[in-house]
Amino acid sequence: MPIDKVTLEILKNHTRAAAESMAYTLYRTAHSTFVKETEDFTTGLTTPDGETFATPTELGATWFVGLNYGRAIGMIDDYRPGDIAMTNDPYSGFVSTHSPDMHIWKPVFHEGEIVAFSVGHIHNTDVGGAVPASLSRTLSEIHQEGVRIPPVKILEEGALNRQVLDIFLANVRAPDQNWGDLKAQIAACNTGERKVHEMIARFGRDTFREGVADLLDYAEAQARAIVRTLPNGTYPFADYMDEDSVDGRPCRMKLTVIIRDDELIFDFTGSDPQLESSLNMPTGGDERHVLLLVGMTYVLYSLDRSLYLNSGVARVCRCILPSGTMVNPVFPAAVGMRTLSCYRLHGLTFGAFAQAAPDRMAGAPGSGGPIMNVNTIDNRTGRRIMAAISPMSGGGGGRAMEDGPDGSGANQGFLKNTPTEVNEAEAGIKVLRFGLARDSAGPGLHRGGLGTELVFQAFSPNTRVTARNRDRTVFTGWGIEGGRPGAASKFIRNPGTNREVDLRNTDILTIGPGDVIHVTCGGAGGWGDPFRRDPDAVLLDWRRGWVSTEHAREAYGVVIAGGAVDIPATGALRAARPNGKANGFYDLGPERSAFEAVWTDANYDALTECLAVLPVNWRFYAKHRIFDTIEMLDPAARRGDGSEVRAAFDALRAEFPQLDTARG
Amino acid sequence: MPELETRCRVAVDIGGTFTDFCVFDEAAGELRTLKILSTPEAPGEEVMQGIAELDRRYGQPAAGIGFFTHGTTVGVNTVIQRRGAALALFTTREFEDVLEVARLKTPDPYDIFSRRPAPLAPRERVYGIAERVLKDGSVETPVDPADVRRAVAAAKAAGADTIVVALLHAYANPANERAVRDAILEAAPEMAVTLSSDVWPVIREYERTVTATVAGYVQRRVAAYIGSLQAALSAAGVPAEPMITKSNGGIMAAELGKTDPIAMLLSGTASGAIGAADAAARIGAPDVLSFDVGGTSADVAVVQGGKPAFGTGELVGEFPIYVPTVSVTSIGAGGGSIAWVDDFGVLKVGPESAGSAPGPACYGKGGERPTVTDAFVTMGLLGADELGYGAVRLDRAAAERAVGAIAARLSLGLSEAAESIVDVAVSGMYLEVAKLMSRRGADPRAFALLAFGGAGPMLGVLFARELGIARVIVPPTPGVLSAYGGLIADIRNDFIRTAFVDLDAGGLAALEELAAELEAQALAWLREEQGFEGEAYLGWSADMRYLGQSYEIETVIDRADIRAGRASALADAFHDEHERVYDHADAEAPVQAVNLRLTVSGAVPKPALADAAAAPGPAAPRGRAAVFLDGAVREASLYVRADLLPGQHFSGPAVVSQDDCTTVIPPGFAAEVDLRSNLILTREG
Repeated sequence: MPIDKVTLEILKNHTRAAAESMAYTLYRTAHSTFVKETEDFTTGLTTPDGETFATPTELGATWFVGLNYGRAIGMIDDYRPGDIAMTNDPYSGFVSTHSPDMHIWKPVFHEGEIVAFSVGHIHNTDVGGAVPASLSRTLSEIHQEGVRIPPVKILEEGALNRQVLDIFLANVRAPDQNWGDLKAQIAACNTGERKVHEMIARFGRDTFREGVADLLDYAEAQARAIVRTLPNGTYPFADYMDEDSVDGRPCRMKLTVIIRDDELIFDFTGSDPQLESSLNMPTGGDERHVLLLVGMTYVLYSLDRSLYLNSGVARVCRCILPSGTMVNPVFPAAVGMRTLSCYRLHGLTFGAFAQAAPDRMAGAPGSGGPIMNVNTIDNRTGRRIMAAISPMSGGGGGRAMEDGPDGSGANQGFLKNTPTEVNEAEAGIKVLRFGLARDSAGPGLHRGGLGTELVFQAFSPNTRVTARNRDRTVFTGWGIEGGRPGAASKFIRNPGTNREVDLRNTDILTIGPGDVIHVTCGGAGGWGDPFRRDPDAVLLDWRRGWVSTEHAREAYGVVIAGGAVDIPATGALRAARPNGKANGFYDLGPERSAFEAVWTDANYDALTECLAVLPVNWRFYAKHRIFDTIEMLDPAARRGDGSEVRAAFDALRAEFPQLDTARG
Repeated sequence: MPELETRCRVAVDIGGTFTDFCVFDEAAGELRTLKILSTPEAPGEEVMQGIAELDRRYGQPAAGIGFFTHGTTVGVNTVIQRRGAALALFTTREFEDVLEVARLKTPDPYDIFSRRPAPLAPRERVYGIAERVLKDGSVETPVDPADVRRAVAAAKAAGADTIVVALLHAYANPANERAVRDAILEAAPEMAVTLSSDVWPVIREYERTVTATVAGYVQRRVAAYIGSLQAALSAAGVPAEPMITKSNGGIMAAELGKTDPIAMLLSGTASGAIGAADAAARIGAPDVLSFDVGGTSADVAVVQGGKPAFGTGELVGEFPIYVPTVSVTSIGAGGGSIAWVDDFGVLKVGPESAGSAPGPACYGKGGERPTVTDAFVTMGLLGADELGYGAVRLDRAAAERAVGAIAARLSLGLSEAAESIVDVAVSGMYLEVAKLMSRRGADPRAFALLAFGGAGPMLGVLFARELGIARVIVPPTPGVLSAYGGLIADIRNDFIRTAFVDLDAGGLAALEELAAELEAQALAWLREEQGFEGEAYLGWSADMRYLGQSYEIETVIDRADIRAGRASALADAFHDEHERVYDHADAEAPVQAVNLRLTVSGAVPKPALADAAAAPGPAAPRGRAAVFLDGAVREASLYVRADLLPGQHFSGPAVVSQDDCTTVIPPGFAAEVDLRSNLILTREG
């Protein structure tokens, strides 16, 4: 029987207090600087079945609302009071989504019965494997991504399982950090356990158990009410990563959002096959896996911020996940850099929902800026310095009522930068510029947000720069409702010199004394026709240094002369509209349009259909071979209806007869 | 009338609704209080009214006021209402977006439409100056006055009347900021100029810039306000040179606030915490949560070992300021918080508040929606007396009408609905305070609760029960504890220099140099600017961290260790503090000192409050009333605070009313009046 709606609200506040207290305990006692800088951790309380009913929102990663621990919990037979289990294996229970994420869970007993689990994870700086920090796009198998701990009890009835700990710590590069962070996780779980006991004392066991179920139902009912405000329909959309591997081919993610009254279906059919790089997202085919629903949670919460965030929200959606694809890879595909794929999926989800609610949603979020590290030698002390410098983030898309926020926003609102003064004091570099990138915003009646821009100089030889999650060098963030795409991201060495190198999506390089690096995040997409933008708003952006005179003229049809809008010239230019209007709902930008002139939706659908019948280990290879074939095709022979792709596929099967009998 | 000199000391706290006076009559050794309505449209007017009222009511003439200190919200309101200066900001060229980028994070990262507040210096009035100081303080590119003059001309043309100058690494060397200022004043002597290196010279450009921006934004208004207050006090015949309370819990000459307005912005909440810490310390409760509840918010400060916790990045309106500030968490729940039922039938309280206009329905000033105060009235716990010295009369029928709407939605009886509103409000406060305590790694059950403000004593015990706190203290004059805090605060100022050195021989030499500079600066402030002649107290600390960490911990240090070059002693102090704050430390890891800090203070005489004679025995209630508490109608004893004598005791359910607030004591709590007339409420059994 449901509990009353007054007690429900009071219990809600107590469960949130428990989850937030767990988060503060973890944050306060964690050892690694990484945890404190990035807040890449979660805490929470789940039902005995593993559904998260309480999650912190002040601290911690924003991605794991509604993470379900059920499968991992079920992989251990017998729980006793004082046990704590852990796993970081992306292929055991599908709770950890890449190897650095160590998840732990502790059963909370009341009178001999499990009433809840106290749970959480920390992203460890390193868990061993082929590269420091365990993450690289170049890796192709999970075994290269560090030690894997399948679900195991690290504490048994309160006693530490020393053997398991020793195996874990023997395989990592900075064991003190991992052990220190694990202790913080254990402290957080103990806090959660204590809070559950306090709640049972306060509310009674039955009210607590019923109330927890009601909290999940409450979030679900809220989420359903939000979905019901959206029109029924089928809303397909696709977006790309520039590369499916280092210097690889474009990688398509396709999502069809189907809205039926208060239900959502996310159909991922048409997304790229499993990749031979670490961009895969390990979901175990779970149709409500949290990694797939982050974008949905963002959308529903942003449409109505009274939404209570827990696993109940996920119940409104079901995903269709073809096996052996990048959204449902099979063992042993590498998954470490799924972060980049996840970012792209967030934007893709926003874009699909934008069709359903064009006046409530925004253009593409700014994207493609890296998380950056510099590893150099301090010339004064001779000491090696390893420093995280500013993450490059992008703004939010424009929308019906306003311009997008600049610099950060949308799905990157949780990032924090490193101050320039700290970068210079610590990282052995000199910052020449840090700010917003001029002309990076997607033009629109309401423009997208500007991306951030950093220019810095190195002073020592063998200075290694890593730039994780580089993307959007080619394909830019789309605009909607006549809005234009944001600018591409940039990564340039020695700009404006005769030693200039376009680094594109490179994610690691070595530079020397005097070298200058210029990096920007891609801009966010605009909303609405930029030629209808208030000329004074364009002028204001111009005065702010965010729009150049040329860009004002070309993108907005606004002529600025002598520090003011030339009204007659603007009127004439806008009437002539030299650049034409955007076609259709999305403006995908010239690079993507050129790509899709060859790789039409029908062609790419045909590709993923063909690949789906192949054994998994052939798919990535076959994709690249078919891309090669299509590239060489006589343009006159292109029909774009899928037939040329099927022909290329047939040729491949003819070349490799073993394909017809192979098993994946 | 020279015989009247220094007959009394007066502290005034100006809040949004009420202005509180706390007066110490030195001859009688007694505290007196006064509460009058604030006059936000004419700041300072209420102070004059109050001074006249003190004479009328207590026979305390203005000429007898030998000490006058006051806290004001003029600065905060200037920011919240966006009525400050037309700012221009001069930055290092290529870093003009510093306020726009801020630290990137949005206010609500789960909301994809969340955005940071628009800066106080709009980007079109930000001008890059071609200059550069490097991290070691060396000037790579000196300031070209012609370049500054161009920027000044543009700023003037854009309508700026104040220029904030915040250049990279100005904490290490203010020379370029000063050169820019000189060039500005040469070109435009009418400009007000604020330098980031003057306001708070600390590393991290956004934090330093935004703090300087807030300072520049409020400076003219605060200075004008202080000037008019000084004139009015003087005209009223108050002989004392006015002091003002500060965000750091101290006081300083009001005159200094004209040039250093940032130091006093958050003084109201800070003095509340100082008053609470003092009141609690006097009765031997060193670990206290101060719980100051007004109409729209509950302000909670953590006091441990008798000292309030400090923080940086406390908010003024939407903007963080990074000067030492008594850390006060403001929860958006107070007596005026509005109850409502969402689309799913779930009861919610706040964050919307009826504020002071229209106020709760029971105020009869046009409010119709049910508030927490209306719930208390409906439960029969409020309304026997008047609030705010007759300023407000309670309309019980109106309260019941408002609560009735909630009762109908929830299918509950009127009283049950009223109690539900209170319970939900309390659970929301519980959520925020639970976070605050776990952030500090503290267990609330080990604390006492000091309840004050207009609605604090009403909610205090109910809130303490939720937190598991066993003891609640209600001071004799809970409505004016912030004003009291100003009365007992010391003269105090903070100084900082960024060092960014390793704890080795070279680093310690650098620290010694900075320490000597800080010491000279601090003493000059206390002696020359402040004119204080008593004993000076110097409190040294350093913000330290392990090499590679991106955050520092302020650690109390011994000046002698710097002078003697004892690096290991400084490191040990840090290891201990790291262990205390984070539960672990690494004695082997190298330590860096990022900032060196010095707090200088001078004690002012504290009111010598005499213990009253005890009159042990049960207190005599004025009457009894049916109230609704803990799910049932109960007969509560009604007491009047002024009747209660030290040593007397009684048990809940009970209600104690006094001029400016009402204390609610549920069943299961016992009350005792201590020798200083505090009500001590203790959980029974």
